[in-house]
Amino acid sequence: MLASKKLWSVLSLIIVLSLVLVACGQPAPEVDDPEEAPDEGVVTIFGAFVDEDARRFQASMEPFTERTGIEVQYEGSGDFETLILVRVEGGNPPDIAAFPQPGLLAGFVEQDQVIDLNDWMERDYLEEQYEDHWLEMATMDGIMAGVWYRANIKSLVWYPVPEFSDAGYEIPETWDELLALSDQMVADGNTPWCIGIESAGATGWVATDWMEDIMLRTQPVEKYDQWVTGQLPFDSPEVKNAAEIMGEIWFNPDYVYGGTASILTMPFGDAPDPMFDSPPGCYMHRQASFIPAFFPDGVVVGEDVDFFYLPPIDPAYTMPVLGAGDLFAAFNDRPEVRQAVEFLTTGESTRAWLQAGGFVSPHNDAELDWYPTETDRKYAEILGEASVFRFDASDLMPGAVGAGSFWTGMVDLVSARGENLDEVMRTIDASWPE
Amino acid sequence: MNSKKRRKITSEILVNGGLLVLCLLWTLPTLGLLVSSLRPPRAVNTTGWWTALRPTEEAGNPRFTIDNYRQVLLGRDMTFVTAEGETVLASGDDLSTALLNSIAVTLPSTIIPILIAACAAYAFAWMKFKGRGFFFVVVVALLVVPLQIALIPILRDYTRLNLTGTFLAVWLAHTGFGLPLATYLLYNYISTLPREILESAFLDGASHFTMFTRLILPLSVPALASFAIFQFLWVWNDLLVALVFIGSRPEVMVLTQRLQEMVGSRGQDWHLLTAGAFVTMLLPMIVFFSLQRYFVRGLLAGSVKG
Repeated sequence: MLASKKLWSVLSLIIVLSLVLVACGQPAPEVDDPEEAPDEGVVTIFGAFVDEDARRFQASMEPFTERTGIEVQYEGSGDFETLILVRVEGGNPPDIAAFPQPGLLAGFVEQDQVIDLNDWMERDYLEEQYEDHWLEMATMDGIMAGVWYRANIKSLVWYPVPEFSDAGYEIPETWDELLALSDQMVADGNTPWCIGIESAGATGWVATDWMEDIMLRTQPVEKYDQWVTGQLPFDSPEVKNAAEIMGEIWFNPDYVYGGTASILTMPFGDAPDPMFDSPPGCYMHRQASFIPAFFPDGVVVGEDVDFFYLPPIDPAYTMPVLGAGDLFAAFNDRPEVRQAVEFLTTGESTRAWLQAGGFVSPHNDAELDWYPTETDRKYAEILGEASVFRFDASDLMPGAVGAGSFWTGMVDLVSARGENLDEVMRTIDASWPE
Repeated sequence: MNSKKRRKITSEILVNGGLLVLCLLWTLPTLGLLVSSLRPPRAVNTTGWWTALRPTEEAGNPRFTIDNYRQVLLGRDMTFVTAEGETVLASGDDLSTALLNSIAVTLPSTIIPILIAACAAYAFAWMKFKGRGFFFVVVVALLVVPLQIALIPILRDYTRLNLTGTFLAVWLAHTGFGLPLATYLLYNYISTLPREILESAFLDGASHFTMFTRLILPLSVPALASFAIFQFLWVWNDLLVALVFIGSRPEVMVLTQRLQEMVGSRGQDWHLLTAGAFVTMLLPMIVFFSLQRYFVRGLLAGSVKG
């Protein structure tokens, strides 16, 4: 009897406590149901950037809320890729979703889930806001699937500024100069490159970035687009040529810090670290504009370390730039969502984030003097001068290739020092989904 | 006599030595995590945690810091620019909201399935009704259904009922996902209770409800407690169900989501996870230690019929 009373009092105490906690906690949040009358003046945006980036995005949307009174509710998750599928399938899509991978968005376009933004905005207006290559990349199945918001640039080579100039090295303007510089460094007893591609389940993406950069520099952009869609096989002379050019650097043991063998085991985030040793373990590191987040504390970009544009190979293709970006697509048609999307097409919508640094805007009306540092301005200049901009091919290819066999194929290629090139390329082709 | 004694001592040494090795193997990674959580990020990224235990370290570089814990508990340092163009250094959200949310999700999600499962287990064990065997087989069969395949259909129904994004939605989801195991576990225990007690209570005129509340529940406390531990830990550590049904807006985020967010958009701040792991461990440890005397008894629940 006593035990039962005690049990009940404990149980009821727990229940009361939990009820109190819930009551003190947040009021149960409501999510708009598209079928019912929508909550006036709230736009929900779902994306992959979190934490600090999320705060910066919210700060960038403040001017919009001030002007229109429309509240923007941003929600970010590291599992965006999975969750957006679940939400759309579950009939609970956000008003606007920020896709870091256009390939994922293309899937929704095929299912007619995404709104054609051509219906919302005039073509002339969009052409004013974006360069043509951005609009081309946002066009899927004949509809304007989204608007670009954030860009990042991959065609960059980082180098330690003081040591680089002390040694009398000069920034190369062509690929031949780049190789000559590498040879000169070896002759001086230095190691030119730091390369590391280890990235847990995604090991290999660093190599695919190199391949893409070289493809853009050796082939016309039409070939690149064909390669992305699978019309140009990996086992073609064009793609194999790119792998061989990459191999000239990667598989030369004198060129790579720690030798070719260390490429596979070096985490990509730690790879640039030897640049900051004294004397530097290496003098060049090709990586995207996000890499400073991984630099050791105290390294100042622009002083201790800086970057140059990865030089062109075939002068016919002047200045191609490889990169990535966030594409904002709309799932619900309401007046306030239209206004929000239109705001996202303006440079003003990126201003707060841009001023915080580490952000490149793809918008034509984002002004250069908004950028907080010389480095950020240089990104924007590279982007502005690009003869053509193309999105990371592996993000555009079907997942089985772009996030699968292309990565693993590169790992195989590196572990065999390029000996098995034909076999690797055929394996990647075979994995292409029908 | 002497040799017997010696043999006893050797076997004791063997057993205890073996246990010691096993304990070391189990606790070593946790120790490494603890040491890492107290080291500055640069050190975590460059050298192994055991190097911090050696007293040789260059001057100026502190070997240990509580900065990781500060950032986890009080919010990460972040800079952003306001609409007026001012640069602001602010700390991010602290853990308090996420902690409250986690508790608000976990407690009901633990208690509701236990109450329902206890009733069901009693019915399956001691009440005669048509189709009892069939329904019990169905419950056991549900044990093998992975919850992932139910996510989208349930989300669809929730959206139709306007439940998506509410705590009620997660409570119900966890209740549903936890019920088969709870019912099965409690059934095994409750069906072993001595028939005589129940029969005499029945003869004294007790109704099913009286027997359930006065006899069954107090007698099954060990089983209830051990299942409570299972369910509590499962819900506390759950990320997927929370992500799908309540979403990840800051005001509804649970602890696991906060932790995942803390590593940053590109995983560059993963060293904060070490401290985060220890902070989120605290509450489950308290629950475990306060219920653990039931745990050993409860694990045997239903294993020996007698």
